[in-house]
Amino acid sequence: MSSLSARLLISVSVLLLLFFGATVVVLDTAFRTAGEQARRDILDGHLMQLLAAANPNDEGALSFPPDLHEERFNTIGSGLYGELRDDGGQLTWRSRSALGLEIPQGGFPRLGTRVFERESLDDGTPLLTLSLAVQWEFPDGELKPYVFKVAESLDSFNAQVAEFRRQLIGWFAAIALIMLLSISILMRGLLRPLRQIETEIGDIEEGKRASLSEKFPTELTGVARNMNLLIDNERARSDRYRNTLDNLAHSLKTPLAAMRALIADKESSPQVQSRFNEQIERMDEIVRYQLRKPAASTADNLVLGPVPVAKEVERLVSGLRKVYHDKQPTIEAEVAPDMKFRGDTGDFLELAGNLLDNACKWCKGRVSINVRPSGNTPAAAGGMRLTVNDDGPGIPQEAAEALLERGTRLDEATPGHGIGLAIVRDIAKSYGGSLTIGQSSLGGACITVDIPPAAERR
Amino acid sequence: MRLLVIEDDNTLRESLVNQLGEAGYAVEQAADGREGLYFALEYPVDLAIIDLGLPEISGLDIIREARDKGKTYPILILTARDRWQDKVDGLSAGADDYVVKPFHFEEVGARVHALLRRSGGWASSMMTAGPVVLDMARQDVTVDGAPVELTSFEYKIIEYLMLRAGQVISKTELTERLYDQDFERDSNVIEVFIGRLRKKLDPANSLKPIETLRGRGYRFALERNQSE
Repeated sequence: MSSLSARLLISVSVLLLLFFGATVVVLDTAFRTAGEQARRDILDGHLMQLLAAANPNDEGALSFPPDLHEERFNTIGSGLYGELRDDGGQLTWRSRSALGLEIPQGGFPRLGTRVFERESLDDGTPLLTLSLAVQWEFPDGELKPYVFKVAESLDSFNAQVAEFRRQLIGWFAAIALIMLLSISILMRGLLRPLRQIETEIGDIEEGKRASLSEKFPTELTGVARNMNLLIDNERARSDRYRNTLDNLAHSLKTPLAAMRALIADKESSPQVQSRFNEQIERMDEIVRYQLRKPAASTADNLVLGPVPVAKEVERLVSGLRKVYHDKQPTIEAEVAPDMKFRGDTGDFLELAGNLLDNACKWCKGRVSINVRPSGNTPAAAGGMRLTVNDDGPGIPQEAAEALLERGTRLDEATPGHGIGLAIVRDIAKSYGGSLTIGQSSLGGACITVDIPPAAERR
Repeated sequence: MRLLVIEDDNTLRESLVNQLGEAGYAVEQAADGREGLYFALEYPVDLAIIDLGLPEISGLDIIREARDKGKTYPILILTARDRWQDKVDGLSAGADDYVVKPFHFEEVGARVHALLRRSGGWASSMMTAGPVVLDMARQDVTVDGAPVELTSFEYKIIEYLMLRAGQVISKTELTERLYDQDFERDSNVIEVFIGRLRKKLDPANSLKPIETLRGRGYRFALERNQSE
């Protein structure tokens, strides 16, 4: 059941079935009850008519005129029957309509009460019967008990009920069908944008288009925008990957060529080892730089989690205390409460780690690191200003400028000191941020990395 | 000093083991994480050099396990992964320092020296106790400024005793930590070496730098001068 429209149609069908089913039962019951009540009233009328028609005859019994006023009593098999029994249950009169039929005798009701019953003829025809026991006073003053009974066949009534039920179900089924049809047509319309996204993604995969179109309903524009962001990001990533590999391969070729030349050149043997080492050093620098390049890029905003800055800084500082155990610099760490960096943990550690490591290396004895939200943004927005100070010799102005202006290709850079800062600069840039090198109040270098909040990175 | 090297690359491991051996250390080696963990937990070790990327059990897990089991010897990590994340993970797990591959052996040697010194509570590579000065970097000993000629084994003994100055070191421990192989050495040999050391360091028998504690072992008895 993976299709949304199938799910909706099935749920609506079940609901309609329950709703209409309940309605049919309620209406059917109401119709039946009302109909039956009407039948009873009519039956009561017929009974009154029989009472009125009965006359005491000369033999001290009750008799009826041959033709009763209600024609159905006179017509054989009409469905309306009447009879009279004495207190012994002996049949004393029966209407002509009941000729050849055996109406069940039923119980003997108490005097003066009416008893309705459902009974049936021998052939199974259902009957509604009404019996009334009376005390008949004859002219000579004698009182004789009698039971008057009228019975009516329920065949036609049942037929009416069945017809009513049939019509009810028929109409409801038709309405349900129309509703389901309209819903599925509606769904088709509503889901069209989703199918369009699917088609467009298919087109992108086949290279027929570059990104998703912008004409989607409001609810889907966010999805489409983020999809486009992801697609752009993926493309940028694969470009970056190719460029990196390209740069790496090319920059390694020069030292390789130099080494091959060294091997071929037999005359330079005394220096071969140190020159070989030089080339290996160079290749190592290149590889290190490429490996430590930023893990994330601005377009990755979607997938970046909040890095708990205080915890990572603490880990870093306690690690560096071990590494610089002999020098024992005082490292002061100050992190704004609840400070979070929206980015990659590895990138954060790379920023803070390189700066702190340099500071510890060059300081006389004091290093400080301060991390707080950038500008006036809240700590949770993910932007940050990271400042590392030391009391070392500082970085000369020209060297700082050269470093900040230099291109990213490390094979052009001087090996050694600069690699850490070059990496920090690249990571800051990849987050849309910047690196500033200045003079610290402690006396040495003051290096500041500014990263804008996640929402403002471009 | 007995070192443990856990590194899966054969060339690198053998070269490290050779050079550390030449530098005067007894070295155990393991080529994978499982064997390395066993050595790290069961062998008497003064310092371990552990590669982070090992087969079977990672270097990080070995470090954690060793620290969990109360092993306090210094640990130097070797890592090919140069990102700070890896360094910080290693240091947080309980390592004391790191060296990034590729490295010069001198760098590893210097770190090993420094870590051993630190673990003995010395702040500088010049260990000074009274008139006796031992320079770990140059591997020489002077008394009152005059150089003392020592054989490499004699040097190993005095270095070990001075690193743990003030502690009682049993003959068994000395044998275990200083000999490269497990074979039995007559403990008399140690006594002979100690006797020779005493003569060389203290010909007048006035300093008494090495005490004998009967049935327990030896102790370097001079007070450390630590101004650093």
